[in-house]
Amino acid sequence: MSTEAHRSFDCFGGTATIHVRATSTARGEEAADLARAKLLDAHRRLSRFSEESELTLLNGDPRWEVPATPLLRALADAVALAGSRSGGLVDATLLDSIERAGYRDSLDGDPSITLAEALSSRAERAPGEPHPDRLWRSVGIDEADGTVIRPPGVKIDSGGIAKGLVADLVAEELREHRTFAVDCCGDIRIGGSAGQERRVRVDDPFGGGPVHELKLRDGAVATSGIGRRCWVGADGGAAHHILDPASGEPAFTGIVQVTALAPSALLAEVYAKAALLAGPERADEWLPHGGVVVRDDGEVDVIAAERPLTELAVAA
Amino acid sequence: MDPFEKIERKRQARHRIRAQRDRAGRLKTRVVAISLICFALLWGVVFVQMATGNDPVLSEFSSTIAKGNGGRNRHAAKAVPAETDASTASEELEASEAGEAEEFEEFEAEPVEEEFVEPAEEEFFEAEAEAEPEEEVFVEEEPAPVTTSQS
Repeated sequence: MSTEAHRSFDCFGGTATIHVRATSTARGEEAADLARAKLLDAHRRLSRFSEESELTLLNGDPRWEVPATPLLRALADAVALAGSRSGGLVDATLLDSIERAGYRDSLDGDPSITLAEALSSRAERAPGEPHPDRLWRSVGIDEADGTVIRPPGVKIDSGGIAKGLVADLVAEELREHRTFAVDCCGDIRIGGSAGQERRVRVDDPFGGGPVHELKLRDGAVATSGIGRRCWVGADGGAAHHILDPASGEPAFTGIVQVTALAPSALLAEVYAKAALLAGPERADEWLPHGGVVVRDDGEVDVIAAERPLTELAVAA
Repeated sequence: MDPFEKIERKRQARHRIRAQRDRAGRLKTRVVAISLICFALLWGVVFVQMATGNDPVLSEFSSTIAKGNGGRNRHAAKAVPAETDASTASEELEASEAGEAEEFEEFEAEPVEEEFVEPAEEEFFEAEAEAEPEEEVFVEEEPAPVTTSQS
């Protein structure tokens, strides 16, 4: 009986973890090493904090149509998917706004202010709205020519969608193995031929123990929140990296964290962010496969799935 | 001799013959009847014994099987070396026949004993029952839990 291989390493501004059990321990170890290499490679190529990354070069290219690798084309495709699935709430073309808000460099490590301090510094609460220009609709790909098409000056931000996308791509390579979990900084894709359930604990944004635990056999879970990257903004008030697309300002909606389930990690990430931006009144509309919502006051709402992932597996 | 006396003597002789025949007939009838009754009685006894499960023939046979099994194998073993020399073969045959006779006498001499064993089937089933736990149930260890936090 083989044991599950585990790898944990720094990636995408956080900690990534790989779990694989293959038919033999040696094959599991080999698969975990390969998955780790793919994740690190994707991080190097899609990081906006690196001047030599494919994404930075694409964002600085003055052409309308730019030759791009399959990975970059997948990211551009994910931009359009995220926008369309969230009604524009998840907009990956707000890079300039994020940098104006103060997120120019990687904010690895502890936030400069606590979540409680950030919440108390901002009194207003309002749901986010889509950007009126909806620039995400102008991003497309041409698979035949191998290019990304977008207006020059429209910059893609990988922060909101890349982790989920890469988790899905790496998980696709591990599908044949008995069990696997690709955890890309909290965006997790789970599956395996054995069909075994894996426990997933939902972290407490206020620093306590897990607020919820669920089990997942085949699917994905992602968590979006405002507590991990908080800093003091130019106006002296608290700022974080999840912006209201309409205003370009950090969103304070009454929700501090959302965990969403979905068939893929990319979709889970999109749903989690959309639910957070939608606010407490409409968050459940963006969680069709279920999720967990943590409000400003620490209250935890567990949202039941309208379409459980097991039903999707049967339908498929 | 008086002719009437002759006739009378013949008449008496025929009467005696007729009586003898009658007696013989009645005797035959009795014999047949008694035979039939004995036959029926005998079968009745056998039927009752069989119906109540007390079959004396089977009891004897089982006990002789228990004792004489080795003998049966020995018979088979002795039957194998047919390719040896004629002299040795005949000697072995004589020896086996003597042995058979001895064993047969043994079988006949020894009465039915109560140490009646049904080893074959019981041992077979017990062996089967013992063999089942050898199957190992393969249980994969539970996958390691993961924690989802803000990305």
